[in-house]
Amino acid sequence: MNRAVCVGFCVCFAAAVTASAAEQKSQPAPVRVQFTDLTLANGLRVQLVEDHGAPVIALNIAYDVGSRNERPGRTGFAHLFEHMMFKGSSNVGDGEHFYQVFSNGGSMNGTTSNDLTWYFETLPANQLELALFLEADRMRSLEITQEKLDNQRNAVQEERRLRVDNQPYGRADEHFDELFYSNFAYQHSTIGSMEDLNAASVADVAQFFKTYYAPNNAVLSLVGDFKPNDALALIRRYFEDIPRQAEPPPVDLSEPEQKAERRETMSDPLARATQVQIAYKTPVGNSPDVYALRVLSSVLQQGDSSRLYQILNKEKELVVGIGGFVDERIGPGGLYIGATVRPGKKAEDVEATIYSEIEKLQQQPIAQWELEKAKNTTRFGYLQGIRSASSRATQLGSFTVKFNDPGLINTRVAGFEAVTREDVQRVAKKYLQAKSRTVLVTNPAPPPAAAPGA
Amino acid sequence: MKPLIRLFGGALLAWTTLCAAQQQGTQESPAPESLKGVQLKGKAPVNPQTLRVVLPRAQEATLSNGLRVALLEDHKLPTFSLQLLLTGGGLDDPANQHGLAMVTASLLREGTTERTSRQIAEQLATLGGAFSASASPSSGETGIGIGGLSENADKILAIAADVVRNPAFPEAELAKYKSRFVSQLQQQRATPGFVAQEEFMRAVYGTHPGSYVVPPENVLRDLTRADLVSYHKAHYMPNNGIVLAYGDFKLGDLVQKLERAFGNWPKGEVRAISLPALTPPAKARVLLVDRPGSVQTSLWLGGLGIERRSDDYFAVLVMDHILGGGPASRLFINLREDKGYTYGVQSFFNGSRFPGVILATTDVRTQVTEGALHELTAEVRRIGNEPVPEDELKKAKRALVGGFALSLDSPQTLLSNLATQKIYNLPADYWDTYPQRVEAITAADVQRVAKKYYDANRLQLIAVGDAASVKKVLEQYGTVETPPPAAAGAAQ
Repeated sequence: MNRAVCVGFCVCFAAAVTASAAEQKSQPAPVRVQFTDLTLANGLRVQLVEDHGAPVIALNIAYDVGSRNERPGRTGFAHLFEHMMFKGSSNVGDGEHFYQVFSNGGSMNGTTSNDLTWYFETLPANQLELALFLEADRMRSLEITQEKLDNQRNAVQEERRLRVDNQPYGRADEHFDELFYSNFAYQHSTIGSMEDLNAASVADVAQFFKTYYAPNNAVLSLVGDFKPNDALALIRRYFEDIPRQAEPPPVDLSEPEQKAERRETMSDPLARATQVQIAYKTPVGNSPDVYALRVLSSVLQQGDSSRLYQILNKEKELVVGIGGFVDERIGPGGLYIGATVRPGKKAEDVEATIYSEIEKLQQQPIAQWELEKAKNTTRFGYLQGIRSASSRATQLGSFTVKFNDPGLINTRVAGFEAVTREDVQRVAKKYLQAKSRTVLVTNPAPPPAAAPGA
Repeated sequence: MKPLIRLFGGALLAWTTLCAAQQQGTQESPAPESLKGVQLKGKAPVNPQTLRVVLPRAQEATLSNGLRVALLEDHKLPTFSLQLLLTGGGLDDPANQHGLAMVTASLLREGTTERTSRQIAEQLATLGGAFSASASPSSGETGIGIGGLSENADKILAIAADVVRNPAFPEAELAKYKSRFVSQLQQQRATPGFVAQEEFMRAVYGTHPGSYVVPPENVLRDLTRADLVSYHKAHYMPNNGIVLAYGDFKLGDLVQKLERAFGNWPKGEVRAISLPALTPPAKARVLLVDRPGSVQTSLWLGGLGIERRSDDYFAVLVMDHILGGGPASRLFINLREDKGYTYGVQSFFNGSRFPGVILATTDVRTQVTEGALHELTAEVRRIGNEPVPEDELKKAKRALVGGFALSLDSPQTLLSNLATQKIYNLPADYWDTYPQRVEAITAADVQRVAKKYYDANRLQLIAVGDAASVKKVLEQYGTVETPPPAAAGAAQ
């Protein structure tokens, strides 16, 4: 059994112990995801990874559309539309998609982000044709009715209540991007407003489908236990005659240069502690400085070895939690820092400490161990991230839609390896400036007696 | 802040226990009547065969000091992951110290006789190593997770062994931990799901350790360094544990590495866990926690379930799957797809050395609380009152058995299956025979366990929501009790 797993695997990952790698013993052998990448006559991009390591197939269809493509008055539409994709097509009944997948031992879901929308299912390998049939039928012939739209509008509005309106800081999270971005494309939330969800019509759904759910606007990534020629033949059979559509209109994602700090304070009746959210503008995703910014973020706020955890949580005991990330998008992104202030402590002190730590990053290079930490944790995370068939399929689709480069699944680690301590200091100076930051402080309402008099 | 929105919520709980397969499926049949929210057109090319898969076998060894080791070799990637399970957990906490095992585990990495808290954090991070340790007040084990890049395995194991074997439990770190924990708890209690869970567990378990989602605050406040030292001494010993591993090792290599890190860890005297008696709730109750202005009502409905080794396990597994095990289940199709009351609804059960809970849960907008509660209770009643149609039963079994293929792509699932078999002393061929056990369940079994565990006379109904709006609705289900909101973590 173990031998079989290994053999199957080697088809997919060439664990290339090349001559040069063998010489440099400190460098571990690179692991690669081997994939093919071709485009069908109708513009559908198809990527295949053959891996006989487990008897499963993972199919991912990424559509080049997200909430960035929405227009004013229709926020939340891309995600509402995602729900409609499970409501039936010419040969698949309402709800049948997930019913068939789950009833045959599979799992599936759909996800909408600001940049893209993706649909995925993992099934036992002998159900490959089922997966392709289900995805192709809805790409070809989604059935849209008022009743189905109203039904999913309810589910989505309930989702908004669950995630945003009924959670502490839910509204603050949403408001943050309204403050941070100036361009409508990223300024509004993916879940959308209740009013706009109410306004969505059947005509909107039909138009959105025609514009964005065309084969030439999609990437099909298939990973798993199949013979590539057989799989490709099936893919051609089900997908290749779905008609191509006109290219969707481009979206301007550019942001005007921020010239001064943006700051707001809000109150939240569901919150019990003050929350401080800070973000700095960063360049578009996958640009060289973003790799250095991610190393910086790791040093500053990843895990209990990070500078902010040590000083804010352990030493000064000012926060309940601290952490953040670099948001990499097709357009401009941000380095986010979030802290929840302990009862009786002051948000101003938390902020001041964060800025003082950022200043240190600007004044001195990070320690060697910190650079190693960022690289090793990144590499470990990368390896974990390519383990399952479904995560490989999702990554291929996402890198293709976002950066037109599925090869990033293999090359990104090298991008981190190249970062130096000086790079980190340089990007700290360049991007983490007071004038390019946005700050949102959320206080519990009504403020408890013990809270600082804010 | 990460704006990812999924079709289904995160609480996809019930499909992880999946198993090997070799039965013949059936062709698609028309939609069973119970599936009012799903339309099957019968054109999808379903392969009628259920995929036959073979489970990888764990290789086993025992270190010189009695520490048992089981390995699933996996050379896909140059990484490893292992779990050290120590018997005891919160179930072996002294009666007035529920939470001691949890705090002991949490404090391990806050300093050893060789390293400070900060050194541990920095050294592990530098290697890209992962270390976690946890026990809950109701867990039967303390679980310690260790992982990282294979090339750093020796160094990571050396730090992990120091942390597990030589914790110093510094007074100052204990004080910091308590303060952190109380602040975090205050946060958690701002979310309706956490409040509902705490209330539900209290209603089902009374004074049994199962009732504690988190330790009582007076216990936490009074715990001393000496308590931690004593718990550690009594439970952290090689002959009280087992290492479950997967990754880029041969068994011989792994044993060598573990001998280096843990080989001279001395044996100790293992004591048996004695569990307090547990009786199901005496009567049905309705509890409403007021959350003024809440735009949703969180509903939990259920009671006391089964032990992991119960003879009813497979019947409950199938019943739970039919009722609320995912998007093809009755609850989802009715409350979400047909009625549009909710974003997510599911049923759930668990069980360990003592009977777990069995429940159905959903969050619905305040205005439809009445309709949602009506459907939720009706579905729970129906599965106990009517035999499940043969088609629907077949589908559920096919999903449970067929999905086993997916676990072969998830070492974590394989490892967790292995842990279950070891912890509960299940037969060595337990997972191999799992499909037959699922297949053997009949409609009568499903109905019997539904009636038995969703017992109308003992059902606990918890609602967290805007009392002014929903109290009248709940009164239709019994006398409404309104427990005071949990102390918000009386932080000082």
